[in-house]
Amino acid sequence: MTLAPEKDYGTPPVATTQTVTVTIDGHEVTVPAGTSVLRAATDAGVEIPKLCATDSLKAFGSCRMCLVEIDGARGVPASCTTPCSDGMVVATGSDEVRRLRRQVMELYLSEHPEDCDGCASGNCEMQAMARTVDAAEVRYGRPHTRDEVAHAAPVDLSNPYFGFDPSACIVCSRCVRACSEVQGTFALTVEGRGLESRISAGGTEFLSSECVSCGACVQACPTSALQEHSVVELGMPTRSVETTCAYCGVGCSFRAEVSGEGDDTRVVRMVPSKSGGANEGHSCVKGRFAYGYAAHQDRQLHPMVRDSIDDEWRVVSWDEAIDKVATGFRALQEDHGVGAIGGISSSRCTNEEVYVVQRLVRAAFGNNNIDTCARVCHSPTGYGLKQTFGTSAGTQDFRSVDQTDVILLIGANPTDAHPVFGSRMKRRLRQGAQLIVADPRRIELVRSPHVEAALHLPVLPGSNVAFVNALAHVIVTEGLHDEAFMRARCEDVDAYVDFIAHPDNSPEATAEVTGIDPAQLRAAAHLYAGAPNAAIYYGLGVTEHSQGSTMVMGMANLAMITGNIGREGVGVNPLRGQNNVQGSCDMGSFPHEFPGYRHVSMDDVRELYENLWDRPLDAEPGLRIPNMFDSALAGTFRGLYVQGEDIAQSDPNTQHVHAALRAMDLVVVQDLFLNETARFAHVFLPGTSFLEKDGTFTNAERRINRVRPVFSSKVGMDEWEITCAIGRAMGYPMQYDNAAQIMAEIAATTPTFAGVSFARLDEHGSMQWPVNEQAPYGTPTMHVGEFVRGKGHLVQTVFVPTTERTNRRFPLILTTGRILTQYNVGAQTRRTSNNVWHPEDVLEIHPSDAEVRGISTGDLVDLSSRVGSTTLRALVSERMPPGVVYTTFHHPVTGANVVTTENSDWATNCPEYKVTAVQVGVANVRTDEAVGEAHAPLETHA
Amino acid sequence: MTGPEARLGNDIVRHFAHLPEEQAVESVVRHMETFWDPRMRRDLRALVAAGDVALDPLLVLVAGRLREGVAHQETEAQP
Repeated sequence: MTLAPEKDYGTPPVATTQTVTVTIDGHEVTVPAGTSVLRAATDAGVEIPKLCATDSLKAFGSCRMCLVEIDGARGVPASCTTPCSDGMVVATGSDEVRRLRRQVMELYLSEHPEDCDGCASGNCEMQAMARTVDAAEVRYGRPHTRDEVAHAAPVDLSNPYFGFDPSACIVCSRCVRACSEVQGTFALTVEGRGLESRISAGGTEFLSSECVSCGACVQACPTSALQEHSVVELGMPTRSVETTCAYCGVGCSFRAEVSGEGDDTRVVRMVPSKSGGANEGHSCVKGRFAYGYAAHQDRQLHPMVRDSIDDEWRVVSWDEAIDKVATGFRALQEDHGVGAIGGISSSRCTNEEVYVVQRLVRAAFGNNNIDTCARVCHSPTGYGLKQTFGTSAGTQDFRSVDQTDVILLIGANPTDAHPVFGSRMKRRLRQGAQLIVADPRRIELVRSPHVEAALHLPVLPGSNVAFVNALAHVIVTEGLHDEAFMRARCEDVDAYVDFIAHPDNSPEATAEVTGIDPAQLRAAAHLYAGAPNAAIYYGLGVTEHSQGSTMVMGMANLAMITGNIGREGVGVNPLRGQNNVQGSCDMGSFPHEFPGYRHVSMDDVRELYENLWDRPLDAEPGLRIPNMFDSALAGTFRGLYVQGEDIAQSDPNTQHVHAALRAMDLVVVQDLFLNETARFAHVFLPGTSFLEKDGTFTNAERRINRVRPVFSSKVGMDEWEITCAIGRAMGYPMQYDNAAQIMAEIAATTPTFAGVSFARLDEHGSMQWPVNEQAPYGTPTMHVGEFVRGKGHLVQTVFVPTTERTNRRFPLILTTGRILTQYNVGAQTRRTSNNVWHPEDVLEIHPSDAEVRGISTGDLVDLSSRVGSTTLRALVSERMPPGVVYTTFHHPVTGANVVTTENSDWATNCPEYKVTAVQVGVANVRTDEAVGEAHAPLETHA
Repeated sequence: MTGPEARLGNDIVRHFAHLPEEQAVESVVRHMETFWDPRMRRDLRALVAAGDVALDPLLVLVAGRLREGVAHQETEAQP
């Protein structure tokens, strides 16, 4: 594969069905009305030189390079700012136009140093453009070196991933516009006027500025003024591979641009793909830059075994490791029964990899003890949306938000946790959409440059259901509902209306529980119900509660009673946590469901897989992850195969989890690193990073994206091959020739994936399931005309308070979450330069709660709950409401889950991470339980 | 000693407690047979047999209805 930059059309596409036809250099071309001459020319195959124009940004018209002549028009207009009109005749290459372009380019070059790194390496669009316009000679002279450039300034190398060299900058403003239009951060500006104009990160260096390191400015820069350090270090890439990011559920498409071949292959940079359906050319600091963990020195590349978790690791061959796994698991089953072992698959792995793990468990283990890390994040989404709509997935594509008039954002912080979608949301808000934020914290979207929420409702943790019921109560009792939609599309309407109209659900009755001013809540209900298109977006602040499933159903109710479902711009949209949470659920990773969300008790489905897999299959559900822990402590569950999940750090009530892992006879960890769970493992099988994987990820909008290997597996096997090898060693023949064959089996047995194949994805790009005969290119919007289950089910969502209550001993509520630069347990991002921004977890606490405890920012504080305690530094912040504290769980040294409890969602056992009663006090020394556990050194024999 | 099934079961019945008793029992039985591993259902019955005082009275009724080794037959429409 060669390096193939995506075509740049100069200005963004115009979305209209009206067309105009123009003639450019004799080529007739028909384009949407409003399209620029520059874009139309590119469409027609005519390349017009440009510098300040790029198709991710609105036309600016400053560089004067894209000048053209138009029949009947005066002068030489800039083609980027000139819209096509029907019958227009354009000439792009007259002698006069060429002369003008050469002169303009000479002026640019007269301030551009001859020793520019980018020009030398080929990373300079301007250098290429100079050749195009034949500006070989610069009559005004040219600085020989960087230091000779007028107003030369030191290169800003503060950012760990890219540098800014003012001497190479032509002040075209593409970076400034990318920061504002694409990212929505407005961190960059042009300081000074005329020849004194300079790009500035708010008057300071990049690292200490508002810059969020999304890389949009670097990508937009037409010179090497903004350039990745990796390009300087490794030189320009020579080829590219289109693949998918392995961080959050947005699922951004990237071109991995690499150099070298075979084992010498190095990733030079990750460039977001404009053709990516989820990200459309944008990225965040994690996907764009934080990929270095794949080659980190901590990466384990060899299988290892040990007899006891107190022993040192011993590097062994794959055969020996696989044999130990297989004989160990079979022995446990002989001694303790078929159900004594199980597996956990990972949302970090591909659909094909997790599909094979569930096959291993169901067919080779002979039970349904398979679960996935979606258990601890979005399992309530699966349950709630299936009960109400009939399918366990979000209803829209990300693009849908462009048609939304009111966004109701509940328990999600997109600018930190789903940054690329957060930027898209900001763009829509800048266009005039209104925003309601329901979150205890004052997240960035409440107020940031050019964005301000119409309402911020700081709903107290644990009261979401009371809150959503109060919204529905106002809508129904004040006649704001869509009666026709409810009657035509929903069932149990009368019972639901009777329930929700009860005064117990009124804003006034629930105010004490929710902490929300009834007038504000009523205003929110009017805003949501009164919008032509209103959409709900939500995150783990909804699901990770003891009533998470009820809340998901409550939000579905809200959409149904207002008719906000089944078209663009509306819907109920989970912002999924990990890159393949949706996919791992789709692939049958839950203990009660086969792929495609079909219950294991369904005879016809079981028969399908029994015939295919040649084994009788259990018709009973298996153990969920927390049930596995409980059964391990009870002695009935003795062996576990964990693929790519660090349960010892990520799951709640750490002491309970650790005790369960210690109680097992055989724990097998398959991962990139010796993570916290590996401390309790007897076999370690090295896994592969996303840069080595061949397969698919499915993102939060049900989009199935190809993941392509940039280089071959560093451990000698693909992860699905490891799983198959375990099956074979256990006496069960499992064999695939490649990942495409696995997807072919998925498609042949899963109706929603019937039309999916690697070949079709490679040909058509990503597709959103269902992909079948009725929707051969996928389904961006679900439930159009009819719900998947037929009628939408209005569920009576009774508010049942959590049993986790504050008291005199634990008077505060702890809630947890993510920040932008780190990711979940930090296994990846902690092994990158992202630590510059977030070297440790901190506890955010309201000034009044801090003052009464004598706590200042930077103080070490003890955080304790009824199950454990830890120590971390305080950050006094008015982002928090009084009575609520917040921390992240990215660093094992903090061990935030030492304090979270075993409470869980009633329906799915998703942990109640968002509600833990705690006390906070000044600490003298860091003496928490987490430190002793997490930092015990791991002994290995290399 | 109370097992985890008591806590998990009590959590479930609290969410169906607003329904008439017979409907609540049916709903919880259906839920447990759909989502609970048979050994958990067995353990819950054992807790009832042992007279565990931590069990919600509704959960006691549910335990008496749970079938031995038979999963609930899922009939809902599929995506």
